[in-house]
Amino acid sequence: MNNAQTARAAGKARTAKIPSSIWKWLAGAGIAAPAVSIVGIFFVYPFIQSLTESFRTEDGTYTLANYSKAFRLYAGDMWFTLWVSGLSLGLLLLLSVLLGGLLRLKTASLVEFLFKIPLFVPFVVVGHAMRVFLAPHGTLNSALMPLGLYDPDQVPSIAFSTAGLVLALVWKNIGFALLLVLGAFRGVDNSYLEAARNQGAGSFRLIKDILLPMGRGSIGVVAVLTFSSMMGSFSIPAMMGSADGKQMLMVDLYYQIVYQQDYGVANALGVISYLVSMGAAIYYMKKVVKA
Amino acid sequence: MSTETAAVQPAGPGVITGARWRRLLLRMILMAGALFLIMGPLLSLLIWSFAEKWYWPSPWPLEWGTSYWSKVFEGKMMDALISSFLIAIAVTVICLIISIPLSYMLARYRIPGRTILLLLFLLPQAFPQLPVFSNAMVLMYRWDLVGTWTGVILIHLVGSVVFCIWTMVSVFQSIPESMEEASTMLGASKLRSFFTITLPLAVPGVIASSLLVFLYSLDEFTGSLLIGAPFKTTLPVFMYNAAMGYEMQIASVTAILLMLPGIILLLMMQKFMKSEYLSAFGRV
Repeated sequence: MNNAQTARAAGKARTAKIPSSIWKWLAGAGIAAPAVSIVGIFFVYPFIQSLTESFRTEDGTYTLANYSKAFRLYAGDMWFTLWVSGLSLGLLLLLSVLLGGLLRLKTASLVEFLFKIPLFVPFVVVGHAMRVFLAPHGTLNSALMPLGLYDPDQVPSIAFSTAGLVLALVWKNIGFALLLVLGAFRGVDNSYLEAARNQGAGSFRLIKDILLPMGRGSIGVVAVLTFSSMMGSFSIPAMMGSADGKQMLMVDLYYQIVYQQDYGVANALGVISYLVSMGAAIYYMKKVVKA
Repeated sequence: MSTETAAVQPAGPGVITGARWRRLLLRMILMAGALFLIMGPLLSLLIWSFAEKWYWPSPWPLEWGTSYWSKVFEGKMMDALISSFLIAIAVTVICLIISIPLSYMLARYRIPGRTILLLLFLLPQAFPQLPVFSNAMVLMYRWDLVGTWTGVILIHLVGSVVFCIWTMVSVFQSIPESMEEASTMLGASKLRSFFTITLPLAVPGVIASSLLVFLYSLDEFTGSLLIGAPFKTTLPVFMYNAAMGYEMQIASVTAILLMLPGIILLLMMQKFMKSEYLSAFGRV
């Protein structure tokens, strides 16, 4: 704002000499400057920095050493990250299409409200809540204990496993996914549904054959956005951990920065994560937008 | 549900057929499942926050009490709570001041480089934050901003400015231009018609977007951890540290404190929240 004012003041002082188009341009540039510089300095510049630094070793030469080290150390974790994000996305889409379809056909405002809650629960809180809920001695096992389903000395642990991670990611993203999917389904004209219903189609057929194809664009958007958000999520995997030694890529990246202080490898992992999210976006553009 | 069932198989009022019972039962089961799935983890936090003693394998805490809640008002947690709220307020105010004029400009004028600007503000949404913020941290080390509140506010602003501009551009686009034209036609200056016509009309959108920016800043974790910790601790970082140190009750109390503003907002704003604001929010 200050910049804008000074630009304006400077412009006013010289209006006699300078044509008004330049004055306007200066004012506009002044208005844009603060926001552009914040995003430019603290996002775009570091983003470019991570690209160039990923190719550089400590002695300043440009090589692929960081990448080969990243692949050597973390090839397993890369597949694990893709697998967890893919599985969570699949479950999320299935759940949100079914739920969104049912809510489109029959209003249930309580259920709709309930599924909006995860939207407002911060990522770290989801991580902690799921840990408390699903840990071997957590509240879920405690609550099920009186049913006598299993031996108190050998309780199943969901929290520190792939299943716990997937569950937490799906839980956090369901609010967002349902919001978009339901929005798209509400946009489908009632006459289509009535026509199919008159032909004897049940709820499931209505969802599968009418709502799903007509809401494909929005579902594609949900898929791309949540896939990259799950792949790039840090706090939930950091809190849920993993029992069999596998980790999500962002946790590895954090480990490289904080404990190893190997920024080269960390940046190589970062660039790989950019490529995956870009790949998801391009795949979406080709498959969904074109069709 | 009831209307269509009636249409398919007309049953008199009061007569409940077997199929209808089954449907009702199915619906109840689905409702209970949804309730358990969503509320289970959240209720666990609530139970843990009031548990004084809880040893496995007791299904309930052995002793209940509020001693961990009273800790909210003392020491480090209070510090984290107050500084988190102050930061969120500062971020919201700065964000509104720098985004509203720019959003208005982007919504109304065909300025040169408009597409590039909009793309620039899309970038932080499209890529994972951690790798970028870790390089921003290197930059902030150079300027001695790491471990300062200024650094934390700046890193929060990156995400909030982006979020604010996208929602505010759509708010300004939804206000008909003809209103401003009428005002300037009657002799008001452009600046005056912005403040007396456009801005008052945009108030609901401004309120919605500032509340969401406030929440974003309150909940922000990745940037706060990299830039602030361990010298400046915000509430999410405090909660993370407590949970990693297995201080279950403290972490649960903090988690509930973090969740409350969001839930209150959801309850209050059910009607006013347009889905486009919410959808932009859910991803960060």
